[in-house]
Amino acid sequence: MIEVKNFSKQYGDFMAVNNISFSVEEGSIFAFLGPNGAGKSTTINTLCTILDKTEGKLIINGYDVNKDIAKVRKDIGIVFQESTLDEKLSVEENLRLHCDFYNVPRDEVQERINFTLKLVDLQDWRNSSVERLSGGMKRRVEIARGLVHYPRVLFLDEPTAGLDPQTRANIWDYIVKLQKEKNMTIFLTTHYMDEAEICDKVAIMDHGKIVAFDTPSQLKDQYTSSTLKIKINNNEALEEYLTEQTINYQYKDNEFSIVTSILNETMNIVTKFKADITGLEIHKGTLNDVFLAITGREIRE
Amino acid sequence: MMRAIKAIVVRNLKNFSRDKMKLFFTLLISVTFLFIFSFVMKSAAIGVEKPLNYLITGIIIMTVFQSALSNSMNTLEDISSGFMKEILVSPVDRWQISIGQILSSSIIAVFQGLLIMVMALFMGLKIDLVHFIEMCGFMVIVGITFSSIGLYLATLAKSSTTFQLMINVFVMPLTFLSGAYIPITVMPKFLQPIVLINPLSYTTAIFRYISLQMETLSAAELVKSGVAFSVNNFTILPYMGLFIILAICLTFFALCVYQFNKADFSCVQVFEYRH
Repeated sequence: MIEVKNFSKQYGDFMAVNNISFSVEEGSIFAFLGPNGAGKSTTINTLCTILDKTEGKLIINGYDVNKDIAKVRKDIGIVFQESTLDEKLSVEENLRLHCDFYNVPRDEVQERINFTLKLVDLQDWRNSSVERLSGGMKRRVEIARGLVHYPRVLFLDEPTAGLDPQTRANIWDYIVKLQKEKNMTIFLTTHYMDEAEICDKVAIMDHGKIVAFDTPSQLKDQYTSSTLKIKINNNEALEEYLTEQTINYQYKDNEFSIVTSILNETMNIVTKFKADITGLEIHKGTLNDVFLAITGREIRE
Repeated sequence: MMRAIKAIVVRNLKNFSRDKMKLFFTLLISVTFLFIFSFVMKSAAIGVEKPLNYLITGIIIMTVFQSALSNSMNTLEDISSGFMKEILVSPVDRWQISIGQILSSSIIAVFQGLLIMVMALFMGLKIDLVHFIEMCGFMVIVGITFSSIGLYLATLAKSSTTFQLMINVFVMPLTFLSGAYIPITVMPKFLQPIVLINPLSYTTAIFRYISLQMETLSAAELVKSGVAFSVNNFTILPYMGLFIILAICLTFFALCVYQFNKADFSCVQVFEYRH
């Protein structure tokens, strides 16, 4: 659905995006993950036809982003980081205006507005002026607006930035629902780790480059290992066993932290000492650990 | 194609009518202009027949001019509030956006002109239907001309303070050297060349020519009334002035659409703005 080949974007001497390539399958949720200034927004803005590329080839739904601009624009819906609603108009007027801009057939306008407002649970607010809505509601109006012309791809630039956890969770429900119901391709950027976990594919970006690109679980398998935390009555026996098996461990606060990526090893320890174990915890690696492993830094939330 | 332009115009007019404060001040400015200026400036219009009507017609057309010029502030506000981005990424072409903005700005300007005209009727201005329609038609031309100039300046200025400054720099001298408040005939000789290159001089002259029903006057009388201009031995009659205005209108309309087409709106600043 989306094909990016050797894309670069330069601002003066600064390489914002440096020769990246990736593709996104139809009907999947794809996330760009990375700290601020990594080049996520530059890439999304170029795909949305707002910025010109410096080099490379970008294709959406078979159309060249820099040549067939009008066709690409018809096929995509965009929710920007900052609000682009007309605050003085009502929710429905904003959507209606959007339908005029995207030339939605007149006899379908009302039906589509009803459908998208229902999707984001805003039917009761359709006549309210946008300036009276809360931040989360505005974001939902923007999502509804981005959908009302039935795009093939929906771009969401930091869709949940600055929202409270509950609103964030709700917006994610809408996004996942949408992808399932409409088989829509969803392309988003985020710096929240938990959000990236839901996606089908994740590209981790840092300093203008894609440093990793895979499914969240593959990434975690590849770049992180699980930590087994054990509290036990018989410290000496476990210590002896671990040294004998040359397994790395740390002992702190009556607790063994054993870094292990092999399931068998973990199972052996647990079965061997099961009579003495008083506490057991397995820590799976997170995408944050993946980022840490690749770049040596943490993503700041 | 027409659908997008219409949508932009309707949206801009809706926003204009919903901003109650703006609407109130718009009316207030018109009334102030009409009353204060016509009484204060009356003494300046010595030697002119029906001085009050003479000034009122000048004020009507100045209102249209100033409103049209400063309405582009709304475009700058749209850009900074982010709403312009929504239009810019839609399949709507840039030229349609600029035409939509120019049209809505012109409609608002003509509306303000009409308000003053209605008030002027109560102050002794007498016009028949034909002249009324002619005046409206000319107000539309003036509206489009200066809305185009305004939007052109706005896309160049890229910040509301710069735009305000540009407008002030233009408005003050152009207004006072147009004959709207002070008759051209009483101005010093050395200012005459500036009067001649000032598009507002022609604007005011044509509007007066129509509204004060001067069709029957001879060329010399028209020059004496300040609605025709004599350069060396040549007289620029009101209808020639109309062609000049139309030429300026088309030039800036084209320039504005062109400029809007290639402008980069990613770095526009708008600050709190009051009329």
